[in-house]
Amino acid sequence: MSDLQAEVEARFALVRERYGDRLAPEELEAVRTAVEGLVQAARALRAVRLDNASEPGQPFAAYRANP
Amino acid sequence: MSDERLVFAPVRRLAALVRERKVSPVALAETFLERLERLGPRYNAVVTITRERALAQARRAERELADGHYRGPLHGIPYGAKDLLATSGDIPTTWGAAIFRDRRLGFDATAIRRLEQAGAVLCAKLAMVELAGGMGYRQPNASFTGPGVNPWNRDAWSGGSSSGSGSAVAAGLVPFAIGSETWGSILSPAGNCGITGLRPTYGRVSRHGAMALCWTLDKLGPLALTADDCGLVLEAIAGHDPADPTSVDRPFHHEPAAAGRRFRFGVLAGITDGCEPAVRENFEGSLEVLRTMGTVETVTLPDLPYDDITRTILGAEAASAFEDLIESGAIRGLTAPEDRYLPYARDAILAKDYVKALRLRAVMAREADRVLAPLDALVAPGRIAEAPRLDAEVRSAVRGTARDVMGAVGNGAGLPAVAVPNGFGPRGLPTSLQFMGRAWEEGRVLAAAAAYQARTDWHERHPDDVTVGSA
Repeated sequence: MSDLQAEVEARFALVRERYGDRLAPEELEAVRTAVEGLVQAARALRAVRLDNASEPGQPFAAYRANP
Repeated sequence: MSDERLVFAPVRRLAALVRERKVSPVALAETFLERLERLGPRYNAVVTITRERALAQARRAERELADGHYRGPLHGIPYGAKDLLATSGDIPTTWGAAIFRDRRLGFDATAIRRLEQAGAVLCAKLAMVELAGGMGYRQPNASFTGPGVNPWNRDAWSGGSSSGSGSAVAAGLVPFAIGSETWGSILSPAGNCGITGLRPTYGRVSRHGAMALCWTLDKLGPLALTADDCGLVLEAIAGHDPADPTSVDRPFHHEPAAAGRRFRFGVLAGITDGCEPAVRENFEGSLEVLRTMGTVETVTLPDLPYDDITRTILGAEAASAFEDLIESGAIRGLTAPEDRYLPYARDAILAKDYVKALRLRAVMAREADRVLAPLDALVAPGRIAEAPRLDAEVRSAVRGTARDVMGAVGNGAGLPAVAVPNGFGPRGLPTSLQFMGRAWEEGRVLAAAAAYQARTDWHERHPDDVTVGSA
C-alpha cells in the first residue's frame, strides 16, 4: 500500500467508524473517493513550506460586550 | 412603452420611468408578478412569490412618490432574492432544501431590510441549489424545486447555486436579483444565463440573515442585466452591519462609467487551458474589444495550490456549519443522492490542514494583490464551458472535478468580480467574461464591465423563449 493510500485508509476509517452503519456499500466507496481527494489536497498544502510568522489570513479580535 | 421593453429595461431606465411617474410601482409589480407566476415554473426559478408583500411595498412606494419622497433608483423597482435570505412574516426561507420547505425565520436579513429602505419591492424568493451547493452535488437536479432550467435552452442548467436568481433575471421575471457566492454561485448562473453578476468583496455586504455555508467565503451580491444596474444595487446593500462583524465600514458609491476612460487589463497565462473552443474563441473576441479600451498584458501568479486552499477552507467550514444536519442524518432528506452521503467525507479534514489553508490564504491574498495592484482588472472566461445539460454531471472546482484558479483566488482572497455575457456557444447558450479586481475595487471592475457593455450588445439580447411574443 502506498503512503498516499495508507493515509487515505486511515482517514477513511474514522469516517466509516462514525457513519458506516448508515451508508450503503456504493455510498461508502464514493465517500472513500472523496476522502482521497481531501488527502491529495492536504498533501498539496503541506508541500508548501511557510515560516513561523506566516499567520492565518483571518482576523480574530478579543471580544468584550459594552460597556 | 411595450411590455417587452419594460421587462427587459435596465434598472436605471425603470428608475427614471418610476421617478417621472410614467410607470407606477404597482403596475410594475403586477407586470413582474404575472410573469413570475406564469413563467417561473417553466424554469423552476421560484420558491415563493411574495405577492402580498410586493403589492404592499409597491403601494407604499406609489404614495411616497406622489408625496415627493424619492428614496433613490431602486424606489418602486421589483426584485427577487435567493431563498437563503431570511424574510419576515409568513414567507418561508427554505435554503433550497426539502427539509426546510415550510420553515419561517420571522425576520428580514440585513440585505432584505436595506433593499426595503431603498424602496425596492420584493416579488419572489428565488430557487437555489440545496444548501447553496455546499454538500457536493454532482447534477443540476439538486433542489426540491427541481433543476434550474436555462431560458436560453430548456435542456440546459441555469445554476448554480443562485440558479433562480440567474434564470429569473434572464427571463425578465425580475429586473434584478440577489444571489450569494461562496465559490462560483453568482458568476456561474450569471454566465450560464447571459446576464451580469457581481460578486462583491468579502465583507462589503452584511451576511446577517443569510444561510451560512462558509463564514469566511460567503458573499451576497446582485444579478441584473447590466454592470451599471449591479452598481446601483450594491450601493443599496453595502455597508457595515453590527450584526455581521465581518462587514466593513467602507463607503461604496456607484458612479456610471466615464466615457473614454482607459483601462489596464491582465490575463493569467494559460487561463483558457481546458476551456471549450467556443469559450476560447469568444474570450479572444472579448480581448479584441478590451484592447480598444486600454491595454491587455499577460501576467502570472506564483505556483501555489490555489484550488486546494479554497477547497479545504470550504469543506471544513461547511462541515462545521451543517454539523447538525450531517451528524443527525437529516441530509438524507436532500434531493441530490450524493448530497445525502458525500458530506460525511469531510470529517476526514484535519484541523492542521484547515489552518494551513488559512495561512496559505494569506499568502494567496498578498500575491493576488501584488499582481492586481497595477491593473484595473484581471480578465478571464467566466466559465470554461457552456451550461451543462440537465442530465449531465456538473464539473465543479468545489469537488475537484474542474480547475478554477480565478474562482479559487477570487473567493479565497475575497476579491470582487463581475461576469458579463460575451457571446454564445454551439448549443445557443451564453458564454461570459469576468473582470476581477483588488479588494474594495468594485467601482473599477464595474466601470470596466460597463465600458465593455457600451461597446457590445450581448447584454441586450434575450432568450426567444421569453420575449413577449413567444411567452
